[in-house]
Amino acid sequence: MYRSQRLSLRYYTAAITLFGVMILFGLLSALYYVFPSMLFEVLNFSTSKILHIDTLVIWLLMAFLGAVYWYLPQELEHEVVGIRLAEATFWVFCAVVAVVAVVFLVVQIGDSTAFTLWFINQGRKYVEAPRWASIGVVVVMGVFAYNVVATCVKARRMTGVTWVLVLDLIPLLAVYMDAFPADENMSRDLYWWWWLVHMWVESTWEVLIGCIMAMVLMDVMGTSRRIVETWLYIEVMLVLGAGILGLGHHYFWIGTPEYWLSIGGFFSALEPLPLLGMVVHAVYDAGEHRLRTVNRPAFFWITTEAFLNFIGAGVWGFMMTLPQINLFSHGTQWTVSHGHFAFYGAYVCGVIAVFYVAKQKTSGVACLDDRFWKWGYGLLNIGMVGMVMGLLLAGITQAFYGRAIGGSTLMAFTQVSENPWFLSGIWARLLFGIVFAAGYVALVYDLLRKPRSNAVGAGEIAGAAT
Amino acid sequence: MTPTAFVATALLMGAFVLAGGGYGSLYSVGRLQGRPRLIRMGAVCLVVALGFAAAIVVATPLAVGWKILIGVSAAGYAAIPPLVWRYLEQLHSGGRAMR
Repeated sequence: MYRSQRLSLRYYTAAITLFGVMILFGLLSALYYVFPSMLFEVLNFSTSKILHIDTLVIWLLMAFLGAVYWYLPQELEHEVVGIRLAEATFWVFCAVVAVVAVVFLVVQIGDSTAFTLWFINQGRKYVEAPRWASIGVVVVMGVFAYNVVATCVKARRMTGVTWVLVLDLIPLLAVYMDAFPADENMSRDLYWWWWLVHMWVESTWEVLIGCIMAMVLMDVMGTSRRIVETWLYIEVMLVLGAGILGLGHHYFWIGTPEYWLSIGGFFSALEPLPLLGMVVHAVYDAGEHRLRTVNRPAFFWITTEAFLNFIGAGVWGFMMTLPQINLFSHGTQWTVSHGHFAFYGAYVCGVIAVFYVAKQKTSGVACLDDRFWKWGYGLLNIGMVGMVMGLLLAGITQAFYGRAIGGSTLMAFTQVSENPWFLSGIWARLLFGIVFAAGYVALVYDLLRKPRSNAVGAGEIAGAAT
Repeated sequence: MTPTAFVATALLMGAFVLAGGGYGSLYSVGRLQGRPRLIRMGAVCLVVALGFAAAIVVATPLAVGWKILIGVSAAGYAAIPPLVWRYLEQLHSGGRAMR
């Protein structure tokens, strides 16, 4: 095992831990909706929500870094250059996250001063971490970028996957600079902030997870490099073609010019089409290998990713992407429903697959296929589907009664908060959130337990690996 | 747009894409397992998707441009599964030949 693969195991451990923190604060945030005065003057809702969302971003980012550190030496047949620096920045990353979390929990809010911006809360949704911590993230990402590029140079080897990865590092670093607010005009600030939230998370991350999935597919299913790289190039073309201008659906109501209504609506409406192609591809690949694989949990999570990405990003997104609909639906629990489903489908399923790849390699079994992984798989998926259905019900109620009928007044908002349909949805979200949390516990237990050898024939494994 | 028309339009759009996805999934699984019945069920999903698209065009208050986009998307949902399948077969057969 390469030293950077040992580092990636540390990243995975940190990511899984933060995944648990994210779920914990997600449950807490869900409880606030049911018991609004809970923890009054102890811990406010917005802090709980910040911890829920920010840990989502950080745990996925840590998992991505871990996955790249896992596969890079394997891909280039060379240890990562600057591995010591990478190991040091891992601890820096963990320390930064821990300190920020403590500040959020203990201090929570500050005055409207530069001190607050630098040391308590930057006040920017999704990147609330104070400025010093954001600089820390830039340093970590900078070291990561250097390590990838330097390893490619040192190894004197570039594959199609590593080319895409290296090119993706440019926007991955550059767009994150939007985490630092620099404009006092709210419309202009939001205009660039969406570059961070949409371009960084939805575009550069899409390419990054595409590179990771390409390497996982070659590893787990023995898919040929030519096929995997062809699809990766297609994905990059789609991101450049429709994904970037799909950003426009975030520009509808923030004071940007009216033409964004047409651009955003048009390109966003096209986004489900390539996702449909991915569903067909997933089915084809499953059949090509006749469901034989050396790592069944990873295989199922990868296949699930294609389907849930289509439903979460495609179906849920399409429902509310046209400006006429979005006028009423934006900012309601409907958006939350879409956000949960899309993130889960696009990233979480893929990252869990990567965890299972690491489990198989570290435990040394030829074929990973215990029964217990199905508990985590089933509970997480049922929990997520239940949560998004509950949120959808609550969101449609808000958009219908509060926005379309009530005219977005404070009175309408308050009345909808007591509407039985809304409350049913919110309760369903909480209950299925508990199911999701149980799935997390089962997942962690399964990842930590020693795998049993199984009865899959050697011929089948060999068949899957060729 | 009335409140009822707003909810109906949104749900029709979601149902349209969901039925399109159902067609893609059933078509692919049917082709994979050589089961014409699944392919026919996929075709039913496609008809349902086209029906939803027609309902959006005829019955919703969306502007003409958006209705044209829905029509073009419907053609996309019909064409993508067989096109992608054919492309995948060519790609994989090429890969096998190279191996």
